[in-house]
Amino acid sequence: MNGNQFLALGAFDWLGILIALLTLFVLADAFAGHYRSGFENKSQYAPFLSGGLLIIASLSAVVFPSAAWTISALEIAGWIAVASGLIGFGFHHFYGIVKKPAGYGWLLHYLMYGAPQLAPLALSATGAMALVAARGFASETEIFGLGLRVALLIFVAVALFGAILQAAVLHYRGAFNNPAMYLPLTAPLITVATCFWVILSPGVASATTVLTIFLWLTLLTGFVGLGMHLRGFDRQMGGLYVAVFNWLEGPPAFAPALFAGFAAVGLVTVYLL
Amino acid sequence: MNKQAETGGTVMNFGQAVKLLKFGAPLHPILVHFTIALISASLLFDAVGFLFNVSSLLIVGWWTLALAFAVTVFTVATGVKSRLNLPIAEGEARSFLRSHMALGLIFFGMLLAITIWRAAIWQANDSLSWWYLLAAGATAATMSLQGYLGGELVYRYGTEVEGDFRHLPEENRKTNPPSLYPKSAATEEGEKGGAG
Repeated sequence: MNGNQFLALGAFDWLGILIALLTLFVLADAFAGHYRSGFENKSQYAPFLSGGLLIIASLSAVVFPSAAWTISALEIAGWIAVASGLIGFGFHHFYGIVKKPAGYGWLLHYLMYGAPQLAPLALSATGAMALVAARGFASETEIFGLGLRVALLIFVAVALFGAILQAAVLHYRGAFNNPAMYLPLTAPLITVATCFWVILSPGVASATTVLTIFLWLTLLTGFVGLGMHLRGFDRQMGGLYVAVFNWLEGPPAFAPALFAGFAAVGLVTVYLL
Repeated sequence: MNKQAETGGTVMNFGQAVKLLKFGAPLHPILVHFTIALISASLLFDAVGFLFNVSSLLIVGWWTLALAFAVTVFTVATGVKSRLNLPIAEGEARSFLRSHMALGLIFFGMLLAITIWRAAIWQANDSLSWWYLLAAGATAATMSLQGYLGGELVYRYGTEVEGDFRHLPEENRKTNPPSLYPKSAATEEGEKGGAG
């Protein structure tokens, strides 16, 4: 990749596209989960409003990168997504564990079978990345006192770690019945550690090389997960021929794409920033 | 739809031929050929261009791969669509199908990775490396396995094959089809004698 551009798009253009894609994946899985519970609570519609806004704002910023209103819109949408994700995390925790019979007494059970505790934070993660992208589109170099490259690597590491934890809980529920279910605990975990190695040792070329390799492996891990989750649908009665039922009851269709997406954000950071 | 010609008659004019046209054929089996051909061609162009230092072949190698990626997005999407329409019960064929589905997205991830890599090489005007060719070769090998699984689904198990065609009259006869080389009268006599 040449300088700050890849295929005529800069780092923040790619970031905007990836944020839109990641948010779309998060919303697709959120829709499956919330539809399954029948949108019992009106707040279950919230991620689609905040996420939809984030998708529109990030794509607008890519199309009109020099317009001040797109940058402001992206920043506002980013903050709304961060807040929406945090509130969702609270709701998932309260309605998914605290308010359930026996509450914390059955913590492991509700972590596995209740609302996915960390899923809403994926929306917060994409919102946080949007905040970085907004600064980048505005030609600023810092956010919260950190360089944009460092901030993005921190967000990638934290988001990946959250995805790993959530996958670990759900794969534990599935008794790791296929060896491929251990994959989220391999390359992605090393990627998280390597992100912090790069942050703490700036200028160490070997650290960046190792990070790049593991980001690519994490990206591929995401696609292995997508394939295996698709296979997981088809292990159920009727398979994809009974599409809606098995989509709702099977493994989360797009969750592995988050690994690929966060890794792609890391690769953009490493190569273009 | 009038299928008279298919069930015994002969197509006599253009109008009858038009009536036999069917739209809504599965697109996946059509598109896979583009994916397979373009990726194989890209690997071949790149390998020959790299080994014999032919820059024009390397350019073709990149654009062929770029086109392959664009087509493969639709190949994957139509594959999922095909599965949605397939009322296949549990059994041997379905296990092939499951492997085909899982490997499809893994292959797509590999294709995405090598396309980004190849685009970066093309953009920087760098030369190819053995590492790239190795990765592209691994992707092509995965594609071959995927194609084999898909081929088995169609040609061994007949998934999405309607099977509505005119059968040869021989199919309804109880005897074997006539042999290609007529047996001699002496041999036939011998067979008759043996049978009696």
